[in-house]
Amino acid sequence: MINLAYKDIKHSLGKFVATSMGVGMLLGIVLIMIGVYRGMVIDAQVLIDDINPDLWIVQEDTLGPFAQSSRVHTDLRDTLKVLDGIDKTAALTFEGFQIDVNGKAVKVYAVGYDPLGEMSAINPKRLIKGRAILKEHYEVVATDKIGLKLNETIRLGRDEYRVVGITHGTVSSGGDPLIYLSLKDAQKLQFLYSNFRVRNDRLRGIKSRANDLVNCVVAKAKKGFNLEVLAKEIAKYRHKSVYTQEQERIILTKNLIKMASKQIGMFTVILIVVSTIIIGLIIYTMTLEKIKEISIMKLLGVPNSSIIKMIVQETLVMGILAFFFGLLFSHLIYDKFPKRVVLQNHDAAALFAIVVAASLIASLIGIKRVISANPAEAIGG
Amino acid sequence: MDTAIKTEKLVKHFGKGDTLVEVINDATFEIKKGELVALIAPSGAGKTTLLMMIGCVLTPTSGKIWLGNELVYDNKWLTKEQRKIRREKIGFIFQAHYLIPFLNVLENVILIPELNGVGEAKAKEKALELLDYFGIKDKADSMPANLSGGQNQRVAIARALANNPEIILADEPTAALDSKRSVDVVKMLKKIALEQNTAVIMVTHDEAMVPLCDRVLTIKDKKVYNLAIDEYKNRAIV
Repeated sequence: MINLAYKDIKHSLGKFVATSMGVGMLLGIVLIMIGVYRGMVIDAQVLIDDINPDLWIVQEDTLGPFAQSSRVHTDLRDTLKVLDGIDKTAALTFEGFQIDVNGKAVKVYAVGYDPLGEMSAINPKRLIKGRAILKEHYEVVATDKIGLKLNETIRLGRDEYRVVGITHGTVSSGGDPLIYLSLKDAQKLQFLYSNFRVRNDRLRGIKSRANDLVNCVVAKAKKGFNLEVLAKEIAKYRHKSVYTQEQERIILTKNLIKMASKQIGMFTVILIVVSTIIIGLIIYTMTLEKIKEISIMKLLGVPNSSIIKMIVQETLVMGILAFFFGLLFSHLIYDKFPKRVVLQNHDAAALFAIVVAASLIASLIGIKRVISANPAEAIGG
Repeated sequence: MDTAIKTEKLVKHFGKGDTLVEVINDATFEIKKGELVALIAPSGAGKTTLLMMIGCVLTPTSGKIWLGNELVYDNKWLTKEQRKIRREKIGFIFQAHYLIPFLNVLENVILIPELNGVGEAKAKEKALELLDYFGIKDKADSMPANLSGGQNQRVAIARALANNPEIILADEPTAALDSKRSVDVVKMLKKIALEQNTAVIMVTHDEAMVPLCDRVLTIKDKKVYNLAIDEYKNRAIV
């Protein structure tokens, strides 16, 4: 039996492939959008996974340090150690600012940690060049995306810093590249006022103890201790808000990027709807172009089922071809985006299912036209 | 000779009320198998309407239609599948060839037989026979776009014959041809009618084709007349 769809596609192969490529680019953008969302979720977790504590201790009644401003005293790091279940602690600062790299302003997110402390903020696996910070002053480790070279010096605040290490894939929850500083340098950058301001504050009777502050303290629990119980104990007696690693993950992934993910979700849905409409319109136009032939076929006695089968098969082939073009397109361009784009197989599989369903829906428009085509038009001229 | 087409008090109106247009008011005639009948009438007289009713494409307002021995219309279609009747009993030839452009010559010819359940090998064998008969067997794998108008028209006639139809309805098949080719096509239709024992109704405006036909159907004042050639020539009734 002659496969009408195959014959028609073969007859106008160039046009069919070009149209599929056009729709494919649209689907590629859909995959990229999903990839941007996945990238955001992964970015949001890079920092907390690299530090990987059991507990996050932040300013009381806040969701800090990422979702809300939080300040706690540095010595909380030491006083926590008296608790039975606490094994290791670290005081951390986080601050976003702009640096000058070869004349270009680059937004970065600075992580301050004690290089001589018990817990490091740098995951050694991510260090691709140089070393971690070993001195308490004037050393930084920077993400490769910033464009800094090893041993290059950069100016932060009032001081010059030397790049001693380069990391790869380290970003903040907002996708900004990270730089790592010693805790003392980070505190100085974030909390130290100018001499004029200190003098002014003293005259007002304000005693500046800003250098004693950090944004949070993280802790590793000893094995066998219940994290929930420990968190409750710290919150009760130290008057702090305490989150387990999983709770912090939820704050970052479910709450902090919720709006952004909704936005991307909306774009993705709109793009899928637009793609469906475009496929529908293309199929409708293709059907209209063949309406004379369809009328002739109906007049000759070709059943509707054979003509509908042709339309559905062509729509499906176009949808599937467009999907694979989209997949190829997205894989060719995803690493050109400034922020992380993560293409996952299960997202592609879901989009494939959507494209197949959308193609079937789109073919209904063509089918409707086929059914309404009057065979009398063929001889009626 | 057996009856191929019979109509009785066939009527076709378009619209209703004030906009009612009567096109055919009484079509009662009979065409035998093996006959080539010319359908001649002025433009707008209802030739195509009559052809479409016989071809089960257009639903009459009232009357009866027999195709072969089967009563297919008696004030309503007696089968839901008029398309199946067309596929199995009728071959269509048009003024333009109207071949399916994305099918090659052979595929155009075997499309309907295959849909009728004839096996691919048998359908191809018959199609190649027909193409050979019309002298275009060597074009079997060509696409219609690569053939001349005359070659395409011969393919269209081969397609109309491929399902061994009892009736061939030809809507001005010679309109686009010069007089010599027109005569060739009408002679070919006459030969087909005789050899295949098929009834052929051919719409034409060309009076020169009338002598080549067996009878003439003509429409005057919405009434259809089935005339012998001499009657038509003498205009005894019309």
